[in-house]
Amino acid sequence: MKRSELISRILITVAIVSVVGAPLYFWSHTPLIHVHIAEDGGWSPDVIKANVNEPLNLKLTSDDVVHGFAVGQMDMQSVDVLPGKVADVTLNFDKPGIYTFFCTRWCGINHWRMRGTIEVSGSPADPSTSSGQRPEPASVPMYVTLGLDIDAPHDSPSIPFSQPSAINGQQLAVNLPIDRSTEYYLGNSPYQVFDELGSTSLTEIQRWNVVASIWQSNTTPESLANGQHLFAQNCAACHGENGAGNGVFADDLAAADESSMQTMAGSDNMTMQSPVDFTNPTRMLGASPALLQGKILRGGMGTGMPMWGSIFTEEQIWDLIAYLYSFQFDYHN
Amino acid sequence: MNSRFILLLFVMAGLVVAFAPLPVQPITPQERTFRIDARQYAYSPSEFKVNPGDKVNIQLVSTDVVHGLYVDGYDISIEADPGQTKTLSFVADKPGSFRFRCNVTCGAMHPFMIGKLTVGTNNWLYRSIGLAVLAVIGFLPLSSFIPQTKNMD
Repeated sequence: MKRSELISRILITVAIVSVVGAPLYFWSHTPLIHVHIAEDGGWSPDVIKANVNEPLNLKLTSDDVVHGFAVGQMDMQSVDVLPGKVADVTLNFDKPGIYTFFCTRWCGINHWRMRGTIEVSGSPADPSTSSGQRPEPASVPMYVTLGLDIDAPHDSPSIPFSQPSAINGQQLAVNLPIDRSTEYYLGNSPYQVFDELGSTSLTEIQRWNVVASIWQSNTTPESLANGQHLFAQNCAACHGENGAGNGVFADDLAAADESSMQTMAGSDNMTMQSPVDFTNPTRMLGASPALLQGKILRGGMGTGMPMWGSIFTEEQIWDLIAYLYSFQFDYHN
Repeated sequence: MNSRFILLLFVMAGLVVAFAPLPVQPITPQERTFRIDARQYAYSPSEFKVNPGDKVNIQLVSTDVVHGLYVDGYDISIEADPGQTKTLSFVADKPGSFRFRCNVTCGAMHPFMIGKLTVGTNNWLYRSIGLAVLAVIGFLPLSSFIPQTKNMD
């Protein structure tokens, strides 16, 4: 064998080994995150550290049933985590802070407890857009600025006899002196608007129709479709696919009783709550969008209702709320 | 009557039982909708019957974890999360009995999560019962013709 041939053979071997070996080496050094149902420990580990502008590689595998992985408030496609398979995820963070990741496939009654955090440290990419090391403060939710008590009963004293129709209300609303600002809609319950319309000469059902048209004018078909999608994915398992509070887990929640609730001060003064029925007009027509936002942001505090503030973006919550009112108002004809 | 003739007779009868076309009753295809509740590790109901040509809608409702439904033979499947009922629609154009099973790993006993779809009557069951009866009856007259081995003293 000639000397030059030997050298070229060695070079080719080294090149092939490094091309194949280097990614394999890095892949095998990425820690594998094991995923179980919440009763068996959820994510392990559930705290992940990362740095700004360094791609974070994660490997996930399920040890029991189908799970999913997504990071809250991040525009990303959720990744299915299947038993016996390893899913690869690469994440990029351009702002420091604590991000919440969560399970996206319903894996049991305690599915929503499966959450973990990614602690991203470092300075943001573009210092001009953000103030130094600190993450941007979250905007104060509307229920706080309005001073709403989101746990107080908010029943509507009066409900319409039939489902209010937005189309019928549109013509009536044209000449009425109505505050059409977004703030007015967000801060008032349908009943409050109905009550304010009492000064006009309209009949009760006409007033309800006007309320429905105001609610419709504050949403778009795209928002409603997005809200419906979010509802089906995240809410329907307990609140029911038709919003009637009779989802597949509603009975399980009642049967699980205290074990399905969590509280820091003991469960003595807690009463088991069943999922809210969104088709119940007394409850829904007495709730303003700001109140519902508060409930969704914060969650049920001890009932089975998760805290969504770290998962949904503000826009997603408003879309969801617009969809919830569509159980009360007829937007079609 | 010799044994060969009787044997031939029974073989002919057997062929008739096995392959004779049955009188087909005209059945107008219908649309049938089934709601199947899926939980770990069973379907409820786990068996259902349709007529050939029926349009079948299976609504799969998962009540605990993500389940699927795969119909063997038809090679069609759906997957349903709790809270998201999914509907599988197909035309039952293949007669016979088909197993359906969960195609999403749903826990330790996942492989045993099965059910049965029956399309039309199970003719092969009745034909094989007929053949078995024929074989028993045929054995009685034919047995007298079997040459007896003589004892060698």
